[in-house]
Amino acid sequence: MGGAMQCEHNEQFSLLMSLALDGMLSAGEQRNLHQHLAGCPICRAEWEAMQQASLLFAQSDMVGPPLGFAVRVERRLERQSQKQKRTFGGLAVLTSSLSLAGITVAAVLLIALAALAWSSLGPQGTSAVSQVASSVGLMGKGATLFLTELLLRYVTPLLAVAGIGLVVLIGIWAWLFAHRPGSSQRNGYV
Amino acid sequence: MDQERAWIEQALRGDRKAFGQLVRAYERPVYNLTYRMLGDSAEAEDAAQETFLRAYSKLATYQPGRKFVNWLLSIASHHCIDRLRRKSRAPQLSLEEPLPPKWLESDAPRPEQVVGKKQERERVRQVLDTLPPDYRAAVVLRYWYGMSYREIASTMETTESAIKSRLHRARRMMAQDLQAA
Repeated sequence: MGGAMQCEHNEQFSLLMSLALDGMLSAGEQRNLHQHLAGCPICRAEWEAMQQASLLFAQSDMVGPPLGFAVRVERRLERQSQKQKRTFGGLAVLTSSLSLAGITVAAVLLIALAALAWSSLGPQGTSAVSQVASSVGLMGKGATLFLTELLLRYVTPLLAVAGIGLVVLIGIWAWLFAHRPGSSQRNGYV
Repeated sequence: MDQERAWIEQALRGDRKAFGQLVRAYERPVYNLTYRMLGDSAEAEDAAQETFLRAYSKLATYQPGRKFVNWLLSIASHHCIDRLRRKSRAPQLSLEEPLPPKWLESDAPRPEQVVGKKQERERVRQVLDTLPPDYRAAVVLRYWYGMSYREIASTMETTESAIKSRLHRARRMMAQDLQAA
């Protein structure tokens, strides 16, 4: 570059040079560019350098991977698949445990509610509810003492927590079902 | 094309062998992109493998209207850009203060000299290495794949005007480096 020499149109013509290399100029723009280049050593030097870089790339062939690339990809896919199966299995066991725990808690709550209903109805209660409560016997009565207060005070947050837990579990089960190993991938591909 | 389509459908049903055929069919363009972007054969191999693994897991999102190879190149270019950004290997160049080209600092021959393939490859790497990741991807897709601005924009998920600008700036950077010689 010629020291402090500058071209006030360089930015504009530099863009035209780039477009010219991609064959994107109209005949008029091309003529305009070449007229400018003929009289401007700054832009001409840039144009020559751009052409030089382009030539370097144009002469460079595509590079292929080392032999056995596809086999290595297949092995990685196999390892990834096995890892996914292990993760899936672990998640399934965890979800099953959580579901079982949830079912247990729900059963205890139901029993407690039944016992609560039985105690509020008194000895005259002859409904199915009281019969269910009788069948759990002393355990239901004992649980009632503790859970009555608890349920009455915290019934809303308890229901909310149980609801959220249920939704989460259903979500995980749905995800597990959709991503079960061996299930085919679905898309709009026809 | 019909064969490609059959492989895709089989791979979608979990047939890894069919996917292996797709890998064999497109390993060269994908590897070339990762190699030109990363400039190192070991890294390029890893990135190309990663590209195919991602393609396999995202195969369900592939839209048949699009060229399959361009879809793969899109995954590869994004992956390489992410890698380069993570490593912060791309030099922060400005048009106002160009740094001397790397090939001038080394013992490697100058671009105008006729040299063997290996040295030529090294020179190309050094030139590309001076560009930020986004510019580098646009240059590679333009020169090695002959993509139009529209195709590059689609592959890189940006606009045609952004590609026009990136190619222009990339060429200016490279030209200034060459002129600094």
